[in-house]
Amino acid sequence: MAVSDLAQASTARSSAGGGRVEIARFTVLALVAVLSLLPLLAGGFLLYSLSLCFANALAVLSVSMLVRYGGEVSIGHSFFVALGAYAVAIVEHRLGLSIVVSLPLAVLLGAGAGFVFAFPSRRLSGIYLAVATMALALALPEILIGFEKLTGGFEGLYIAQDLIPGVAKSLQHYYVALLVLVLVCLALAHFRKSAQGLALLMAQAQPRAAEAMGITRSWARISIFTLSAALASLAGALTGFASSTVSPNSFTFFSGVFLLVGSVVSLNRLSLPAALVGGAFITLVPTYLAQAGDWVPILYGVALVVVTLGANAGDLRRFLPRGSGR
Amino acid sequence: MMEASAGNGLVVEGISLGFGGLQVLSDVSMSLRPGVITGLIGPNGAGKTSLFNCLTGLYHGQRGRSSFAGTALNGLGPAQRAACGITRSFQNLAMCPDLSLLENVLVGLTLKRRSGWFSAFVPTPAQRVEQQEAERRAIAALNELGIGAFAHDKPSDLPPGTLRLAEIARAIACDPRAILLDEPAAGLNAVETRDLMRALRRLMRPDLVLLVVEHDMDLIMELCEQIYVLNFGKMIASGTPAEIRAQPDVIRVYLGDDADD
Repeated sequence: MAVSDLAQASTARSSAGGGRVEIARFTVLALVAVLSLLPLLAGGFLLYSLSLCFANALAVLSVSMLVRYGGEVSIGHSFFVALGAYAVAIVEHRLGLSIVVSLPLAVLLGAGAGFVFAFPSRRLSGIYLAVATMALALALPEILIGFEKLTGGFEGLYIAQDLIPGVAKSLQHYYVALLVLVLVCLALAHFRKSAQGLALLMAQAQPRAAEAMGITRSWARISIFTLSAALASLAGALTGFASSTVSPNSFTFFSGVFLLVGSVVSLNRLSLPAALVGGAFITLVPTYLAQAGDWVPILYGVALVVVTLGANAGDLRRFLPRGSGR
Repeated sequence: MMEASAGNGLVVEGISLGFGGLQVLSDVSMSLRPGVITGLIGPNGAGKTSLFNCLTGLYHGQRGRSSFAGTALNGLGPAQRAACGITRSFQNLAMCPDLSLLENVLVGLTLKRRSGWFSAFVPTPAQRVEQQEAERRAIAALNELGIGAFAHDKPSDLPPGTLRLAEIARAIACDPRAILLDEPAAGLNAVETRDLMRALRRLMRPDLVLLVVEHDMDLIMELCEQIYVLNFGKMIASGTPAEIRAQPDVIRVYLGDDADD
């Protein structure tokens, strides 16, 4: 093929791609509009569930971010989520301050904790890093119960302060969570184009090439884990705010596993719709399937298998006999 | 020759490298002068890639010294050598599949970019200016190699020849002082190889060190002014293409029977 033909094909491709981008942008805008107007029609339990769903969507994003930009899997992100949630509760109990103060503080704490964990484990990857993060999730309930004076032990703590006094609590929870989720998605879209975002993607896909461009593997691993932990902690702060309570029950070992499940279900994508799918899967499915009782874990498992197989259908096709399915 | 160029070129002296009992490089010296396209050839297993990896900091020789523009390179890793202005390409195309060609080239500018973590998430006027400047440089690099039209394509949509040129665009985008190319013509057809040669000649500047490690004898002979020949980890010859052609050792170990035509 001559160069001019190639260039023409390229132009055709990019205009088709432009159309797709427009449609995606319109879908997201429509979604935000619908979600913003929803409280006019619905109330009560649905709003409460959706507020939690938004907070969980952020937590799912934090895991997906680690997968996308770091190529790593964490089972223990519930640790950083709990850190954010307890930061909000403890700041309110000890200092009497609302999330205006505790939300940024939670982000900083999460980043700090992420860095403290990532620095010594910067040479770990794959299954070894996943197991190291598992240690965080396993230790978490014991830590929460052990520091009873600060964390309220088994009973946990209540979060009662309003952000804007006078406005209904359910509306506050809903809109704050939605606003932060939308802002984080915008920030992540911007990050994808930033120098740091590109450098992390390159370090993940071609570590040796990245190194030759001055991007070291340790820098990449520490940076992405710190960012992801900060985001998880922000998600935790909103989970606490939206549910008005924190207790060790909300942060068991399985919370970390479910975050990973949510990330897999959203195909590790970092867009608003994908985050909502992941958040909904770990928030709404268990709630609305509660009457199914013992079947919940099984339905969960089936859904997970279906999504994983469906998403990787292209790769699985090679297991089919020759000539079929092509 | 070596003394005169040691001030501003890339120089290795007496490099030896072994893996366990296997001696890969023994007492290899070479001097890459700025403004000259230098070629490194040798049969399979001669140690070309090992020497290349010593130059880029991936391997560290057990003996010997290397320096660039008078600065000692010993002990520096790939990222630190990149900070000294040394860039490289890879034998196996090292493009990130998720990024467009333009973005792949933009990564090459990472060391030149100054915007901080805050502006990575929140757009600021300074960051926008910086981004535009970086994109301008990346597009200029792609245009210099004649592949600006593919800036927004994904690597998987493009033929290897274009990707090879894109790797070189990435290497030149950050205004390096030395470019090391590992088998740039591997997997290219005759037309693409010719494009590559033209591009390499065009980007040559008086202050640039350019090393091409290659199997393709014709390409090296036509492109390079200075050639080194490696065999069994030893440097067996160096000189101009005419001198190399006349070396009996080279004819015996590398050019084989085809050498007389």
